[in-house]
Amino acid sequence: MTTARHHYLEIIRENLKIDLAEEKEVISELETHIEDRLQELKERGLSEEEAERTCLGLLGSAKAIARQIYEAHSQGSWQQASLAAMPHLLFAALFALNWWQHVGWLSIVTFMVIGTSIYGWWHGKPAWVFPWLGYSLIPVAALGLILPYLPREWSLLTIPFYFLLALWWIICLLIQTARRDWLLSSLMLLPMPIIVGWFITLAPGLKITAQTPERINYFAPWIALSFLILALTIAAFIRLRQRWLRVSLLIISGLLTLTLVVYYVGGRLNVQTFAGLILVMWGLFLIPPLLERVLRRSRRIWQRYAFFKPSQQ
Amino acid sequence: MVQKRELIKGSSDSLLLCLIAQQPMYGYQIIKELETRSQGYFKFKEGTLYPALHRLERAGLILGKWQLLSNGRPRRYYHLTAKGHAKLSTERVQWQDFIKAVNMILQPAES
Repeated sequence: MTTARHHYLEIIRENLKIDLAEEKEVISELETHIEDRLQELKERGLSEEEAERTCLGLLGSAKAIARQIYEAHSQGSWQQASLAAMPHLLFAALFALNWWQHVGWLSIVTFMVIGTSIYGWWHGKPAWVFPWLGYSLIPVAALGLILPYLPREWSLLTIPFYFLLALWWIICLLIQTARRDWLLSSLMLLPMPIIVGWFITLAPGLKITAQTPERINYFAPWIALSFLILALTIAAFIRLRQRWLRVSLLIISGLLTLTLVVYYVGGRLNVQTFAGLILVMWGLFLIPPLLERVLRRSRRIWQRYAFFKPSQQ
Repeated sequence: MVQKRELIKGSSDSLLLCLIAQQPMYGYQIIKELETRSQGYFKFKEGTLYPALHRLERAGLILGKWQLLSNGRPRRYYHLTAKGHAKLSTERVQWQDFIKAVNMILQPAES
């Protein structure tokens, strides 16, 4: 395949941001279309370069095609929207119904989160699995909070090992997600600033004390409300087609929920903490697109190397 | 020109369903058929055809199936589904009523 055609299809591939299996089919279909049109144009007497230029011109802007195909594929069904909103609803139920105190319910929710995340990950990573993946990071964080309470020798041994392992897991997850679409990474990380906000409120100084359960009970309705807002956001996200609407929705909902947290905790979170959380949220929104850009650049370098390698031999 | 584009945009789904109903077709074939049968009136911007086909497929109106040709090249043929047939029947009736109504105004019956 010549460079212009290759470059054209590569722009489409980079901007499609759909399931990998579907992406492969779309590219293959367009490739066949280009070959058919080229053959016809060459039979009419055009040179290879002229035929290619005409063919790509007839197809139109690569980015516009990718955007339109994304919009055709992006809208999930109502079932997918419910499935994506479910982890948030489960967490809302944990607090609204006071289930968070029961080990049985906590274990069921943890098992559901981990089980669904693994299932979705190995079944084509559909968009609905990313909110579940975000919650699968909570058991990892909870494990980290338990470690300082272990005997001193044990914690000295396990903490560095835990941090390396947790960091590796989070980076792997982010890279794999950003490869598909950075927006899904943001979707996955959306609850994090809100959970951190609640945690700072409920466990000042990041220490779990005897008063913590009492505080959780006091704030339980508001915690449930913030998870409910997240659930509605995710359901709307899955049903929306346009990318800019999806980005706007995540930003507005994230900021709104964070503001609600600060409003309801009534002075327990100061302005600096709120500003810090906003910064964390912006960071979480900015890291995935930056990561995607880095990954795309490295893929281009690798492909260029792979493309020119045979001709150098 | 804008009016013509709007007319084509509004009728593109019906045209695609109608063509695919006659026989399963692949993208390039659809473009050629549309151009030939309409004597050049319907000229799709080629890149817009595939998003339209994928949208119809997601709506369950058509179904894309890969077929391997004798030369080893794969092609994606689109087939009309039962839901697509039902939709096309409704749209046909609507179009016929619309055309009849427009004709009654443009060409008043001779009294």
